[in-house]
Amino acid sequence: MNVNRRIFLKQGALAFAALGAGPSWGPSFLRNTAFAADLGSAKSNKILICIFQRGAVDGLSMVVPYGDPFYYQSRTDISLAAPTQAAGESTVLDLDGYFGFNPALAPLLPLFKQGHLAAIQACGSPNATRSHFESQDLMEAGTDTDRSVADGWLNRLIGCCPEDAAHKTAFRAVSMTSGIPRSLQGEQDSLAIRDLDTFGLAGDTAVPLAGPSGTSHGFESMYGSAVDTVLHGTAKESFDALDMLKSVRNGAYQPGNGAVYPQGNFGRNLKQIAQLIKANVGLQVAFAEIGGWDTHSNQGNGKGQLANNLGGFSKALAALYQDLGDRMADVVVVTMSEFGRTVHQNGNRGTDHGHGTCFFTMGGSIKGGKVYGDWPTLAPDKLFQNRDLAITTDFRDVFAEISAKHFNVPMADMAKMFPRYTIDSKRFRNIYTA
Amino acid sequence: MPLLLLVSTLGLTWGSESPETPADRAQVVHVLNRITFGPRPGDVDMVQKMGLHNYIEQQLHPETIDDSAVEQIVAQFEILQMTPEQLANLYADDLKKILKRAQKNATKQLAANPAGAPPPAAAADMAMQATPPATSAPPATAAPPVDKDKSMMAEGQEKVENPAPELAKLTPAQRLAEASQFRSVAAIGQLEQAKLVRAINSQRQLQEVLADFWNNHFNVDVKKKACRVLKVADDRDVIRPHLWGKFRDLLEADAKSPAMLVYLDNNTNSLARDVGPMEQMAMQQMQDAVAKKMLGDAAPPSEPVDPAKAKTKKMGGINENYAREIMELHTLGVDGGYTQQDVQEVARCFTGWSVDRQTGEFTFRKRQHDDGAKVVLGHNIPAGGGMKDGEMVLDILASSPATAHHIAYQLSQRFVADNPPAALVDRVAGVFTATGGDLRAVTEAILTSPEFVSASSYGNKIKSPLEFTVSAVRASGATIVAQGPPPFDKAQPAIEGGAILGKGADRMSQRPRQSLNFHLYELGEPLFACSPPTGYKEDSSVWVSPGALIERLNFAMALTGQKVSDIRFDSSKVLGNVDVDKPDAVLDQCISVLLPNNVSDSTRKVLQETALPAAGDGQTVNPNKLIALIIGSPEFQRK
Repeated sequence: MNVNRRIFLKQGALAFAALGAGPSWGPSFLRNTAFAADLGSAKSNKILICIFQRGAVDGLSMVVPYGDPFYYQSRTDISLAAPTQAAGESTVLDLDGYFGFNPALAPLLPLFKQGHLAAIQACGSPNATRSHFESQDLMEAGTDTDRSVADGWLNRLIGCCPEDAAHKTAFRAVSMTSGIPRSLQGEQDSLAIRDLDTFGLAGDTAVPLAGPSGTSHGFESMYGSAVDTVLHGTAKESFDALDMLKSVRNGAYQPGNGAVYPQGNFGRNLKQIAQLIKANVGLQVAFAEIGGWDTHSNQGNGKGQLANNLGGFSKALAALYQDLGDRMADVVVVTMSEFGRTVHQNGNRGTDHGHGTCFFTMGGSIKGGKVYGDWPTLAPDKLFQNRDLAITTDFRDVFAEISAKHFNVPMADMAKMFPRYTIDSKRFRNIYTA
Repeated sequence: MPLLLLVSTLGLTWGSESPETPADRAQVVHVLNRITFGPRPGDVDMVQKMGLHNYIEQQLHPETIDDSAVEQIVAQFEILQMTPEQLANLYADDLKKILKRAQKNATKQLAANPAGAPPPAAAADMAMQATPPATSAPPATAAPPVDKDKSMMAEGQEKVENPAPELAKLTPAQRLAEASQFRSVAAIGQLEQAKLVRAINSQRQLQEVLADFWNNHFNVDVKKKACRVLKVADDRDVIRPHLWGKFRDLLEADAKSPAMLVYLDNNTNSLARDVGPMEQMAMQQMQDAVAKKMLGDAAPPSEPVDPAKAKTKKMGGINENYAREIMELHTLGVDGGYTQQDVQEVARCFTGWSVDRQTGEFTFRKRQHDDGAKVVLGHNIPAGGGMKDGEMVLDILASSPATAHHIAYQLSQRFVADNPPAALVDRVAGVFTATGGDLRAVTEAILTSPEFVSASSYGNKIKSPLEFTVSAVRASGATIVAQGPPPFDKAQPAIEGGAILGKGADRMSQRPRQSLNFHLYELGEPLFACSPPTGYKEDSSVWVSPGALIERLNFAMALTGQKVSDIRFDSSKVLGNVDVDKPDAVLDQCISVLLPNNVSDSTRKVLQETALPAAGDGQTVNPNKLIALIIGSPEFQRK
């Protein structure tokens, strides 16, 4: 069955059906406008975009507790100044009279003020491992200490989604990485697409790919006529996905609403996620990651290493929001990191591995404009193990709230989603509109 | 020994094999698919001539097979020959390098005196940290507090997880030099490459399949802390020497393996106890001495414990991780009948089973051992047993019928079917119990069972990425380049290891050629780097997914297109003497070599249409294209 008829049947998008998929139909302007514009398909999927800041981001430098006197006592060289201090480019952008954004997060300030972005401070995993790998692994597995959980929480999420089966496509879960990340490992299929523009079969002059006698056609035919039902089914999904991709990336993608993504991998990752969303290929969960947060030395404040990274990070997120426009009504973005960093700066004007950090959530249904969480303060007796920001919001409560409210995962499934942890909606921070 | 006598000696119940009627060709191919990493050109004929039963018997006794060619190649991987102590030093050396760089940075900062210079007291503090402890004076007032966790040590430890700096900013020569420095990271690359060399070239194929199985069963992830170097000793001294002996011995070697102790945190599993100031001071002095020994002048200063001021504090604590996994994964199985209480009791038994950082070997720390009485799975373990507690646990677990069943099931999954017949599993479990866990006997019981050679088993498993890629290399007669010439011999393993550790994978993906090892990373089976302790699943259905299939097709084309950087593909090894002007003959030849169990009619038809030139076209067959199609075919994904 022609893949586009399938899309038509699923989504009732008449325009799509009239257009078909191959290069031989319709004038190109129709194709391009179709993909830049919102087709307004009858049934929009809810979408979650997870962004992992790998390397333990200093949440205290993202959403700065300038109202906390202990902050300045602990960080003489890498602190950001309160709004009243007029310290130029290291002055925070006030959020609520106590917390302020690192100025490098300026692109996200309008979203915060408009109520589309929320921060959750003092968030993370109760487990005290300060190993990047272990902690990332465990967070992505959706557990705090249970090393035997073999699959990822996002994989379990798509397995638990009530409306899933009918709308499943090969693009249901996509990670903009070289391999499937831990979060997505498991029973449910997902695609790892490092770069949308190059994903697919790679032919060359020696083994020509295209055409009726090309290897691509050969592969597709072998699997198409195979009696091997398992491989036949999987291959069909693969080739349908590649077919759909041909349409998705026909011509250079134009971000909507004048959005401009920053250069570099992360900008490209988010742009391509937006591209996939707008192409209505059935994306439900997207994953991207960004590193460089392990600021052990010369962390800087409003300028420097961390600020540079935050700048690129925030520009890309803001561009995504702008690009998606009205589609953001169905989208939630959540950012996370495996742990935070020490409250005190170290001897190298940096910070070492800590505990609590700051997560962001962003989207049409997010009750933004607020810094959520119970702020434990940075008073010495309130620190975790005498050194780190304590955690007052378990990361699983954030994940669970999104799963329950954005995807309607029933509370009964939460035990499966988060092994050995009881999800209680009373602990939800209520970051999501009812 | 006459063949018929051999047959009856083996007590075989299947097969009508005799010198007059050699074993069915399809059966031979099936067996080769299961007990080797795939037939090479000529293997099927060789085994038919030798006799399938003889071949299996020979493979069950690898000591009778000469494998010196491969051993010579593996001997070139110098890290793999290192003693546990040398391996521990390798890791410490990398830590030292990182710490020295951190010190240099701190000193540079001081010298540069940037805008917004720290107050003089802070500068003095930083200077103190940059110089060896012996010469420093106490800091002036109002210095920023020294990070309690010895910041540079912490940074070093953490950076050692991922040492490669921004390679992008360096020239290629600098990059190679930089990559070559981190030998503990290169350990990963050497481990992986040696495994591939063996899988492709070893004559002791069944042994390699079993090494893959048991390494996976006792999964260790090289990404964790010092496991990258400890795994070298684990594979060489723990897993491989115990493949053919008693399970109890393998289990004990593994329980004492530093790699396993670190991976599942048992090295810090200890009795929680109150430690007084004097003992704290003694411990701190000892730690300093070790740090000094291992890190030399890069050892960061530590905060001395003042016995007059320090208070008694609680140190240590039970860590249940290993206790749970040894029961759930290594022995009884998840339904093996243990309780949470058993997990705690087993954890208590293994307190003190730890690793000596300097020698890199197992050590039993008496003071950390919980010497109280325990009850494990209904067995009483009396107080005062010391190390015997853990040994008793090993006895109990190794001799449990649940363990016999669990091991029998998993081995049957590997050799027979993803859902092996219950009758087979029961029978094999019986052999396990009757022989006291003799792994050769257990393996033989499977390989001589009717279920093993039943036609219903043919092609009923999907090849893992390792099996797929290696069988493609073997089937096409391709060769692997074990190591590049200097300086690549030093740099490449570190680069491959770095990618596993999370640095550079993206860059490697974008290159026009990748190594076989990197393809495995992209296919979802990074070697020795499976994060959860479950290891890669024996149920092969997990390997089927749309993205993975696309990657397999890409691999097939990369292999034939000479784009797998350490594999030399030569289509003439497949074509042999066939007349290349006869397309149908070429097709038959390629199919019989690569897929000796033949292809389906529908696949054959597609190959004819796609890969063969039309009659009268005047063109010859493109053998690379044809071979790529066959390797990417549905039939080739199965074994």
